[in-house]
Amino acid sequence: MIDWASLFLVAGAALVSACLVVVLYALGLRMLSTAGRAPHVTPAEFTDAITIVTPAEAAAEAKRIKRAAARSPLTPLQKRLALLLAYTSFVLCGLVVLFGVYLIVPALHS
Amino acid sequence: MDLTLIVVLVIVLALFFDFTNGFHDTANAMATPIATGAMRPKVAVALAAVLNLVGAFLSTEVARTISNGLIREGEGGVLISPTMIFAGLVGAVIWNLVTWLFGLPSSSSHALFGGLIGAAIVGAGLGSVDYLVLLDKVVLPALLSPVIAGLVAFCATRAAYAITRRYDGLPDGRAGFRFAQIFSSSLVALAHGTNDAQKTMGVITLVLISAGVLAPASNPPVLVIAACALAIAVGTYTGGWRIIRTLGKGLTDIKPAQGFAAETSTAATILASSHLGFALSTTQVASGSVIGSGLGRRGSSVRWGTAGRIGLGWLMTLPASAIVGAVAALIGLLGPLGVVIDLVAAAGVIVVIFVISKRDRVHARNAFEGVNEVAESARVVRIRKVKPKRPRRSAA
Repeated sequence: MIDWASLFLVAGAALVSACLVVVLYALGLRMLSTAGRAPHVTPAEFTDAITIVTPAEAAAEAKRIKRAAARSPLTPLQKRLALLLAYTSFVLCGLVVLFGVYLIVPALHS
Repeated sequence: MDLTLIVVLVIVLALFFDFTNGFHDTANAMATPIATGAMRPKVAVALAAVLNLVGAFLSTEVARTISNGLIREGEGGVLISPTMIFAGLVGAVIWNLVTWLFGLPSSSSHALFGGLIGAAIVGAGLGSVDYLVLLDKVVLPALLSPVIAGLVAFCATRAAYAITRRYDGLPDGRAGFRFAQIFSSSLVALAHGTNDAQKTMGVITLVLISAGVLAPASNPPVLVIAACALAIAVGTYTGGWRIIRTLGKGLTDIKPAQGFAAETSTAATILASSHLGFALSTTQVASGSVIGSGLGRRGSSVRWGTAGRIGLGWLMTLPASAIVGAVAALIGLLGPLGVVIDLVAAAGVIVVIFVISKRDRVHARNAFEGVNEVAESARVVRIRKVKPKRPRRSAA
């Protein structure tokens, strides 16, 4: 019959690894915005029918976000620390993803 | 002579199945990044195609597991003839095209299993199928994989929103998830390439072995690998836009953070399942992830009607393709004339499906337009409010 042990193993491994990647990346974004550098990524194409933005509007929005982020109550040292944490979590997240690539390519691990 | 003709037919049909597999499954990796605008639609499908091509060359481990155990072959079992594989492929291809017409993301492997099972039952009787293995390897994973992936995606989405939520009104930087989506969806596409092209390679190798061209238990030749890789890449680039529409907009409205969480969950679940030995279907995992991410964001809703339709499609995939495969086997086993009748009938059905699909074409440009009438009307209001004379949409 069904192999419940390996099923739970798969579910657990997937849960832990997916959450690890997402938490690390989200933490990076959070620290980036804490440091007053919230990223602004304009959609490559507006598939959502509600938001259709011209390049000028996108640039204005980016400027607005930059200005708003600069109103951070943190000291410069705290900001630098937050930035360091942000980059650290992005790098860790990238390493986890690279491990995923390593698992996909059998030539690397067999 | 007769045998070589049927072998050639099977190879051609297997490559066509590989093509439909590619274009059926583009949505698994690329529906969410297209929906959130992380990549332009054409760029996204091109990236997926390249990664599928690369993935197909990376691994040939899965190639000979296709009929492993499911159909009793070898000593004391039944001999799978090329005609039966041909009939099975007819069932798989036709069912893949039918589900594509309805925009349903259904598992291509289930269609292939179904077709082969149907053909085997007709060719070698009811006893030729190991039903316990069928339940264990196909039916139960189909029920469990969307649940597991949905749970993982739900937790990941919750975490992503909780961590980036700000109460002080400063920018939260969630748009940054859009950038990450490019990588997470690429991972899904690569994992798909290493899995799905293998199935066709397995079928073609099996036929070549049964025809005596290759020695038993040999690896797929380079030419077979290259042909399969190319077929799945071309299929992926063609893009099953109907299915991309269903997964990207039909189930729930996806924001970048949800898209990233869903893609990461899909990739993690597929990788875990292929490395820890409990095979799950890519399509079902991807659909489950999208639903889970829809449940995970506050204020978003899942369209359960669409989810139900998809579920119904999954339930029908195995029996429906088995019936088509069985009918094809019934005719095909009459002899060479039967195979010709099969071929003509299958070609006829495929042409009819394409003609029907032309009535409302779905392609890169219109995949996400007019899905939601409320959004559509909101757009009209906004255009009137901002600048009425200039067209809001750039030529892109």
